[in-house]
Amino acid sequence: MLLKIYLKEIKDCFRDRRTLLLTVLLPVIMMTGLTFFYEKMISDGEGESYKLAVNESFEPELAGIFTSYKNIELVHSANPAKTLQDGKVQAALILDPNFSSNIENGDKATVTIIGDSFSQKSSNLKNIVQNVLGVYEKSIFSERMKAKGTAPNLVEPITIEQKEISDQNPNANLIAMLIPLILAIAIGVGSGPAASDLFAGEKEKKTMEALLMTPVKRSTLLFSKWLTIATVGSVTGIITLLVVALEINLLTENLKKAVSFGNNVVVIIALAVLVSIIYAMFTASLLMLTSIIGKTVKESQSYSTPVMMLAMFPTMILSSIGINELSFQHFAVPILNLFSLLKELVFGIIDYEHILITITSNLVSMILLFIVGRILFLKDKWVMN
Amino acid sequence: MIEIHEVTKKFQDKKKFVTALKHVSFSVKEGQVVGLLGENGAGKTTLLRTVATLLTPTEGAVTVAGFDTIKNANEVKKRIGVLFGGETGLYDRLTARENLEYFAALYGLSKHETKVRIDDLSRMFGMRDYLNRKVGGFSKGMRQKVAIARTLIHNPEIILFDEPTTGLDITSSNVFRQLVHQLKRDGKTIIFSSHIMEEVSLLCDSVAMMHKGELVYHGNLESLYKSEGSRDLNYIFMSKLVRGNEHYAS
Repeated sequence: MLLKIYLKEIKDCFRDRRTLLLTVLLPVIMMTGLTFFYEKMISDGEGESYKLAVNESFEPELAGIFTSYKNIELVHSANPAKTLQDGKVQAALILDPNFSSNIENGDKATVTIIGDSFSQKSSNLKNIVQNVLGVYEKSIFSERMKAKGTAPNLVEPITIEQKEISDQNPNANLIAMLIPLILAIAIGVGSGPAASDLFAGEKEKKTMEALLMTPVKRSTLLFSKWLTIATVGSVTGIITLLVVALEINLLTENLKKAVSFGNNVVVIIALAVLVSIIYAMFTASLLMLTSIIGKTVKESQSYSTPVMMLAMFPTMILSSIGINELSFQHFAVPILNLFSLLKELVFGIIDYEHILITITSNLVSMILLFIVGRILFLKDKWVMN
Repeated sequence: MIEIHEVTKKFQDKKKFVTALKHVSFSVKEGQVVGLLGENGAGKTTLLRTVATLLTPTEGAVTVAGFDTIKNANEVKKRIGVLFGGETGLYDRLTARENLEYFAALYGLSKHETKVRIDDLSRMFGMRDYLNRKVGGFSKGMRQKVAIARTLIHNPEIILFDEPTTGLDITSSNVFRQLVHQLKRDGKTIIFSSHIMEEVSLLCDSVAMMHKGELVYHGNLESLYKSEGSRDLNYIFMSKLVRGNEHYAS
């Protein structure tokens, strides 16, 4: 009986264009958009061209310090700040009128950099200019010290070397945030319409009464409907993973470089699929409850939206946590554990203890949610309007 | 066939209780057609839902074909067919045939039984032309026929109709009336609620009148006409309501 109901529900769901659209098309669009956004974000401004406003009196020898930056065009202006305000350049560099003579005489010279912190491009240019001037400042300082007969070792007594504990590409962390976030949103959005339709929708259309009049156990009805929502969510999750894998592999350079699974590629992909299915099952349990509580599809959707928003928090929590700092609680809390486990997988780490904790915590939560759902579904108040 | 004994149903509305049925008792014999009359909110739908096992009575009990609606709900469900509100309870994205096959499967019919039953019902209701079309595009009349066919798919002994002709045109209402005659001839036991007095006087053997959750009259139609000295059911119904209101006022 369970199979018959399940197959009918699946047929009904996939005949709904809205479900099809949200299950297949939406993940593709979302993935493409976010993949390109992150690719651009980690490209670190390379290939980007900038315009820097400078005084008309900006000396050619000073301009020489920017010669190695082919992507920076110097725009001479009577009023560099005004040129920046007019949006013609991304930053302005204003030198003290006596800048060159002060440098030559060994006096202090002033430089002002004006930029717009709200603009990514302007911030990038400001940083570049600051770095260029920093190097220039050091060279002047060394020359002055040499002229006074001071050895460079005395001026720079410590050489700082920075090394990373992990040999992973730092951009892997971005992918570790990107994939679970998109996956969680896609599964929630993909299975949402099916969930609303299967309980609140049936109450609204009065098919629920007809169903409850049949000699089928309510638990069987509940389980088959939950299974349908979980299936739709899992299909969305798998499509999302497939799309992200293909897009990163075929359409990006920086993100592609950041991911390297080595010999574990098959196991990692299989585990990612397993995690998606488990998350889809957990989401189905939550959405099942919001749909049972909702009297209409609209009401059910207004309850399910905040539930889907829960998927935003793990990104914020985990963005500042290193891969070796992940501990038991990160794998014991549903939703958070999807993000934690996928983060490990992106970094090529397979920790079976963490996988087991994640599966167990999700199963326990699902059972509890299912018990609540069953209690509600057995009450007249929640199954009939 | 149906025994309703001292049934009271209370619903909780926020912090207060609303009594939808107050000590309702009556019985329906096998093969009888009973019209359930009452204003909106009189408790007709609640009573039908209670008989149909969808609601649990707060007090009292209902037995259908000897089975208690709470203790033996599944036995009752196998013997009962219910249609609430005429053309509702269909899946729009499924064809008429798929809808009927699905409910046949839920009632435990074999594939062969399902095929025979769908053939019979589609012949009876003239649905053959649109049996394989999706219900979403059907007219009200077509939907009503499919909904009735769904109600009868498992060939129930007892059928409950809740305002089955509400919102239907004359042709569709006539189809329904012909069906009730046919079912009566087949010996089915029927309870249907209605606001249309002509329909009730035309189809029913007896009536049950409800007012504010109470049963104000139950009995044979002919006896009612005799005792009231009129064959105008509309007039009788209204005078019963006035008496009911006076009873409440006192």
